[in-house]
Amino acid sequence: MFEIPWNVIAMQFFFGIALGCIFVLLSSGMSIIFGLLDVVNFAHGTFAMLGAYAVFVMISLSGSFVVGLVSAVVIVGIVGMIVEFLFLKPLYGKDPLLPLLLTFGLSVAIPDLIKIIFGLIGKPVNYPEALSGTLVLGSIILPGYRLFIILFTLVALISLWLFLKRSDLGMIIRASTRDSLMVQTLGINVSRIWTFGFGLGVGLAALAGAIAAPMMSATPDMGVDMTMTAFVVTVVGGLGSLGGAIVGGLLIGLVVAFTAFVAGEYSSVSMYFCMALILLVRPRGLFGEQGRE
Amino acid sequence: MQHVKRLGQIGLAMLLVGLISAGLLTALPATASAQQKTIKYGTMHPLTGAYAVLGRDQMRATEMAVEEWNAKGGVLGHKIIWVHRDDELKGNVAIRRAKELVEEEKCDFFGGTLSGSISLAMNEFACKTKTPYVAYCMSDMVLGSDQCEYGAAFMVVPYAASLAVAQYAFKNVGKKWFAITADYRWGHSLLEGWLWQSQQMGGQFLGNVYVPLGTTDFSTYYAKVLAAKPDFIVMNNLGADQTAAIKQASELGLTKNMKIFCTKTAQHTIKELGSAYNENVIGGMSFYYKLRDKYPGAKKFVDKFIKKYGAPPEQDGECGYVATNILFMAIEKAGTVSDKKKIMEAMQDIKYQLTKGPEYVRGCDRQRVQSYVLVKGKGAKAKGWDLADIVAEIPGDSIIMSCADNAKKLPFINIKLPK
Repeated sequence: MFEIPWNVIAMQFFFGIALGCIFVLLSSGMSIIFGLLDVVNFAHGTFAMLGAYAVFVMISLSGSFVVGLVSAVVIVGIVGMIVEFLFLKPLYGKDPLLPLLLTFGLSVAIPDLIKIIFGLIGKPVNYPEALSGTLVLGSIILPGYRLFIILFTLVALISLWLFLKRSDLGMIIRASTRDSLMVQTLGINVSRIWTFGFGLGVGLAALAGAIAAPMMSATPDMGVDMTMTAFVVTVVGGLGSLGGAIVGGLLIGLVVAFTAFVAGEYSSVSMYFCMALILLVRPRGLFGEQGRE
Repeated sequence: MQHVKRLGQIGLAMLLVGLISAGLLTALPATASAQQKTIKYGTMHPLTGAYAVLGRDQMRATEMAVEEWNAKGGVLGHKIIWVHRDDELKGNVAIRRAKELVEEEKCDFFGGTLSGSISLAMNEFACKTKTPYVAYCMSDMVLGSDQCEYGAAFMVVPYAASLAVAQYAFKNVGKKWFAITADYRWGHSLLEGWLWQSQQMGGQFLGNVYVPLGTTDFSTYYAKVLAAKPDFIVMNNLGADQTAAIKQASELGLTKNMKIFCTKTAQHTIKELGSAYNENVIGGMSFYYKLRDKYPGAKKFVDKFIKKYGAPPEQDGECGYVATNILFMAIEKAGTVSDKKKIMEAMQDIKYQLTKGPEYVRGCDRQRVQSYVLVKGKGAKAKGWDLADIVAEIPGDSIIMSCADNAKKLPFINIKLPK
């Protein structure tokens, strides 16, 4: 057998962070939807899958990866807003299971629709040639695309943070997650905020799917695992907490990466162990607020 | 309380996701009416889920074979009624479907499936009901005590695929190898084959990582591979797992300067991978449609399939086509549609040439003895279905152990798998 040098550990850390970045984008969207609408979006991974197909289509049409990424967020975000407006809105204030069942239905129907449109065989998504190289630091090899994922996620999160903290709309969204009734009494149309918030949440899911697509191809069934991962990260980070989604996503990414390194066969299940442990110690997740309505 | 309620909702949601991934929520009904002077053949395929594209080709090729036989008057004057079911690639569903086919639909013969473990259960069911079963998938069915006189296997035995690819790799590429293996019985069987062939040809095994099914990020495994510095990497996985593994190997630049051998690959995997499946990626298949340039039978089969369905058949489709044909050929040879034992005896040592070179079904264990094809990707030069070129066709007799060895699971039972 061979000895494990430190550079391999460093690479493992890097891969874990890059993987965690995808989880962060995925679960940030789910957290926003949770926080704003109290909806367990069962179709979250399905919207991520739509993001992967959107980036495939838009790259085919425009030839630009960046245009593909931005378009995926916008297109799927708009689809999300239409879904919220047409199907979810009538269910607010009724049994909380109804939105869950609706999104569950979407998670079954949308992949089948994609299979009809695009066929059973997945679609390859290629990133630009400029990102295909590797950065070599001594004996550490860092793939360019993973570096891009980390930097891109950082930019996306800073933009999201600035939007939520500094813009009027962002502040209304934050206020609505705290007390939507109070926001409504101030004369703000909360219903539109919900629609926008749902679009923003699924747009982030689409971004996660679009950014992950070059690593695995776009396939109709890819959303199932992504939904599961989003649930785990959201629970670990704390329901409805954006900070929790970020810390939770990175934590789960690192747990999966290092488990893959020491005991590969347990890498998938390691995230569930991690979730169970955290829930035992801190039932509301790492950043979940106690008693928050 | 709100928090607890939300957790409860998430729990329910996770349960539903689990049910989806377990494939418990979908089923496809099918019906067929019985007619006089008919025989009934029922097949099962994974028509939903991750391997639906392979299941679909199994189904299509079976349909094509049945239509061809009916067009020439059926078998011994009996029209063939064909019914099929979606087994969802789940053991429990497959058993229900098999019971439907044999006990409710009153099928005289049944076949199909894409999972080795399901084929074992089907074989057991065939033994109990004395209904001939032809397996379409890679299966250990012919090994040890699992087989009875009512089962026959038409895809290669898993270890045979490993022997074929390993012989080529050690001869043409190098000796040092590292494996990435799907963590279930099929992946382990492939690894056993590689380890044995490595011992025979002086290979140097540097290590293996077991990867759970459905893994989407393989980069976390590659740091270990890079540290080992092998001459080539072996992929003992399939489908979406193989797609992600090769995509990410390409991302790390591994496909530019290292060979990757996929013990079993698939046409749709190469298509999905696009430029990542380049000339450094070599995969094994029991059939690739470019064999039509070599064998007239392959040309006839492939051209007809493309004309009917718009795309060349996967190896799983070819297997279904051959299995269906051999079943009906055995009935004709036996001269009876009702004496099942006699039909299975007629299948033994049956010689034929359908889609490849001359082949036969071995008398001692009713295993189809067939060649294994190695293809090399075309990467960015791929266009349409021109995805790969054949680099070798390994003869069937050179990669299958004797029946006596198979019965004792030799020599692989002596291979100690790495932890």
